[in-house]
Amino acid sequence: MIDRGFIRNFSIIAHIDHGKSTLADRLLEHSGAITKREMRDQFLDDMDLEREMGITIKANRATIQHKYNGQAYMLNLLDTPGHVDFHYEVSRAMAACEGVLLLVDAAQGVQAHTVANAYIAVEANCEIILVINKIDLPAAHPEEVALEVEQVLGLAAEDAVFTSAKTGEGIDELLDAVCARIPAPIGEINAPLRALIYDAKTDIHRGIINHVRLKDGVVKRGDKIRTMAVGSEHIVTEVGKFTPKPVAVPQLSAGEVGYLLAGIKTLVDVNIGDTITLATHPASEPLSGYEAPNQMVFCDFYPGPGTQTPDLREAMEKLWLNDSSFTYEPVTSDALGIGFRCGFLGLLHMKIIQERLERESDVNVVQTAPTVTYEIGLNDGTFIHIQSPSEMPDMSSVQEIREPFCRANVIVPSHFVGAVLSLSLDRRGIHKKTEYLSPTRVMLSFEFPLGEIIYDFYDKLKSCTKGYGTVDYELIDFRGGDLVKLDILVNAMAVDALSVIVHRDKAVTRGRRLIIRLKKEISRHQFEIPLQAAIGAKVIARETIKAFRKNVTAKCYGGDISRKRKLLEKQKEGKKRMKQVGNVEIPQGAFMSILEPDD
Amino acid sequence: MWDGVLSNEVMSECGFYVHVPFCETKCGYCDFYSVPLMDRPTSPLVARLVTDIEGRAGEYSGDIVTMFIGGGTPTVLPISDFRALFSALGDVAGTHKPREFSVEANPATLDEVKMEILASAGVDRISMGGQSWHPSELETLERLHSPSDIAPGVALARRFGIGRINLDLIFGIPGQTLETWAESLRKTIDLGVDHIACYGLTYEAGTRLTSQLRAGVLTPCDENLEADMFELAVEMLRGDGYAQYEISNFARPGQACLHNLIYWRNDMYIGAGPSAAGYVDGVRYKNVSDVGRYVQMIDSVGHAVLQKERVTGAALAGETLMMQLRLNEGIALGLFASRTGIDLQQVCGSRLEMLRGRGLVDVLEDVVRLTDAGRLVADSIISDLYADVHAAEALSDRS
Ligand SMILES: Nc1nc2c(ncn2[C@@H]2O[C@H](COP(=O)(O)OP(=O)(O)OP(=O)(O)O)[C@@H](O)[C@H]2O)c(=O)[nH]1
Ligand code: SF4
Ligand SMILES: [Mg+2]
Repeated sequence: MIDRGFIRNFSIIAHIDHGKSTLADRLLEHSGAITKREMRDQFLDDMDLEREMGITIKANRATIQHKYNGQAYMLNLLDTPGHVDFHYEVSRAMAACEGVLLLVDAAQGVQAHTVANAYIAVEANCEIILVINKIDLPAAHPEEVALEVEQVLGLAAEDAVFTSAKTGEGIDELLDAVCARIPAPIGEINAPLRALIYDAKTDIHRGIINHVRLKDGVVKRGDKIRTMAVGSEHIVTEVGKFTPKPVAVPQLSAGEVGYLLAGIKTLVDVNIGDTITLATHPASEPLSGYEAPNQMVFCDFYPGPGTQTPDLREAMEKLWLNDSSFTYEPVTSDALGIGFRCGFLGLLHMKIIQERLERESDVNVVQTAPTVTYEIGLNDGTFIHIQSPSEMPDMSSVQEIREPFCRANVIVPSHFVGAVLSLSLDRRGIHKKTEYLSPTRVMLSFEFPLGEIIYDFYDKLKSCTKGYGTVDYELIDFRGGDLVKLDILVNAMAVDALSVIVHRDKAVTRGRRLIIRLKKEISRHQFEIPLQAAIGAKVIARETIKAFRKNVTAKCYGGDISRKRKLLEKQKEGKKRMKQVGNVEIPQGAFMSILEPDD
Repeated sequence: MWDGVLSNEVMSECGFYVHVPFCETKCGYCDFYSVPLMDRPTSPLVARLVTDIEGRAGEYSGDIVTMFIGGGTPTVLPISDFRALFSALGDVAGTHKPREFSVEANPATLDEVKMEILASAGVDRISMGGQSWHPSELETLERLHSPSDIAPGVALARRFGIGRINLDLIFGIPGQTLETWAESLRKTIDLGVDHIACYGLTYEAGTRLTSQLRAGVLTPCDENLEADMFELAVEMLRGDGYAQYEISNFARPGQACLHNLIYWRNDMYIGAGPSAAGYVDGVRYKNVSDVGRYVQMIDSVGHAVLQKERVTGAALAGETLMMQLRLNEGIALGLFASRTGIDLQQVCGSRLEMLRGRGLVDVLEDVVRLTDAGRLVADSIISDLYADVHAAEALSDRS
């Protein structure tokens, strides 16, 4: 058994694409954890979707060996996702670490998520090793980037380690630095067991695999454990480590990271962030867990073509057992029937969950446009939170509508400042601070209504900064505003799934844009279809879809019958992808069209 | 091969269709299977066609009540082949004594010799592609004949005692106006033919007209104008004693095309020739659409069937609905149910009610018909009802 003094627990954090997963590859390779033959790029990204999209979605762990000063060290590394939607994965990883490698791309320099992730590490009291990566790139300027980090985050540039996760340069020094600079885990091997569940996965054969990090004590097969918050008791059937493949070990002890099986069947019985102790010799205080992930956007999933509500429910339950970072609850829409209102960490998360549902359970999902949570102040002085405009109570009982605000940092080359300021103005942003990271790069701080930036702000920012701008945000509070509920009426019927909450100043433009888009999505019918955008009883924009006057095939003779029937067959399939609202067929895509950027 | 059990379907009348796959040149809008004649020898094909005709007629035990020779342009065949073909067809007609024997003809390809051959084979009806009385419109359509060929063609047929004549007209031609359309209708009516078919121009995949449309060198007729043209045709023809009996077909009393009625009532027909389709005892089949492969198949296996499908259940109901609704006589619900096993009132009742409310269909004494307004949007009505019928089947499968 390895002495706790020679264990190092650390995560790799960075802005998206700065090379975390690739660096993890080099570390695995260097320590011989996987052979060159087994190696594939971003080895730890084991989900199909991660490999296809080239991004990390879930934090992944591995245990590797390194010799430093003649001594064998055991290093537990966690590769984390960079995208803002998955910041909570980073926070969670911190609780299992004493240190982090903060990667910064030597060509791109500090980006918005570099700052955000670094703050998470600072807050968690983790030792930060600054790593300037991609030094092999022709455009790399590592020293300048190190100075930039010093300027923004106060990390000494002279302590930076320079690496190329591509060529392997600097990896040895980096591993040495991990051993030398990151503190060994503290904790009492003789104290009562305290193990933090920092993640859990469902394995169809083995039940729940708890990912644990031991603070105190020892745990082994046969131990009777108790989860301190949930209070359930189980017998440990196996403990092991990720090498990165799971390998059983005789025991896990204080400071170590690994997995634990205890015949737990479903995620419902596990509370991530809970502390495991021994039933026979329990600890008195649990470890401090983490905040539950905070769902920022909500949308409804309804069964699509060929899918029934129970199928969708089953698919959601199954996926949730694998990834409990989204929420879902049943909902009924006049227009779309019975479905689920789901909460996500962000838009990327929403897309990933939808994709995984369709892929892993073979269901079809119709999705409504996402929205943020609104806080509604009622006449009686109470507040409710709504996660869909359709939940808005009768306006006569509404005193005030409050919307979520966030703090956002935008990092851009200094000559784009003007463009960013005008974009932020358009999004009702409040400019708070301008900070020069270097003579040519600036960090602008804003406060924004979350609803103004969560959907397409990033794309807009990219396009007005030639791809250089990055943004990161975190929720701060709810604030009152002149907000209204905009209803969309199709053939004089309000379609609940198409309502949006908008600022009054933008209601007309938004309403107009919406119905113009709907007009494109809905095909002509046998009758005229009025489309209207309305606030309460007041119509603020209208369009009409004309009825077709002629829709008839001239010829249909003996030789045409089979072909014509195939055509009808196709139309019939097409109709299945339509939702019937009154007498109007609305294609499913229309419900998402609210979201699309302006043409 | 076809003496399978006759089901409880009400099918007693069988038509016989023969496809002659040659034309002088290919018209710009045409997607029928036909190849330009050039100097191609036609006798190898005609020899197989005769084999096919004799085989099909021989194996069918019931009565052939109509015959229809179409294409292509049957009248482009050189005399010897023309004679060979119609002598075989004359034999079939002699045996079965059909109530109608039609041939399609191009006004420019008719002459006395051929007319004589047709008359002596028993042909009693000729269908001519007139299309338009305006040279510029015929040019847009890339039709070979000129307006001046139409009247002589009709006169020639009459001289040989073939009194039942149909003329095809096309509306919705790029550049056509309501006035030129009215004039084409008027001139056709004045010829005194007993049957007129008015087709709205359609842009079929793979035709030259469609590629011109895609390339933007052709401006399609405005939808409203086309609808006006359709309504004008109905009005003028009705005024002159032609009853509309199918969406595009108008006839003087008793002069409806019996052969085409078989299609629209979804009854039985035999098909011979390349690309011809047949529907016998509940089975649809279609021959290969290629002269070379047709010849090969007839020689090697004795038929040229490429696809075959037994149509039952919702598919049968769907097809029947799709065809019968085109007819002004409509769908007799009782007969429909006994034939397809599907009660339309039950599976599309609310839809029919809604369509009736909008004035698009009439439901009268067990018969569902499209109204004039309904006929203008027939495709969308058929499409909706078709989906209803299938949805009902899917539901009953589930339970
Ligand atoms: N030239 C060069 N390219 C690198 C280096 N490290 C990573 N890359 C490339 O940068 C891209 C992103 O690398 P990843 O390892 O997936 O980045 P990540 O930080 O894990 O990204 P997320 O998980 O999405 O946040 C890939 O195309 C890598 O091949 C490096 O040192 N040099
Ligand atoms: S004559 Fe008739 S079959 Fe021949 S190409 Fe023209 S439209 Fe087609
Ligand atoms: Mg990654």
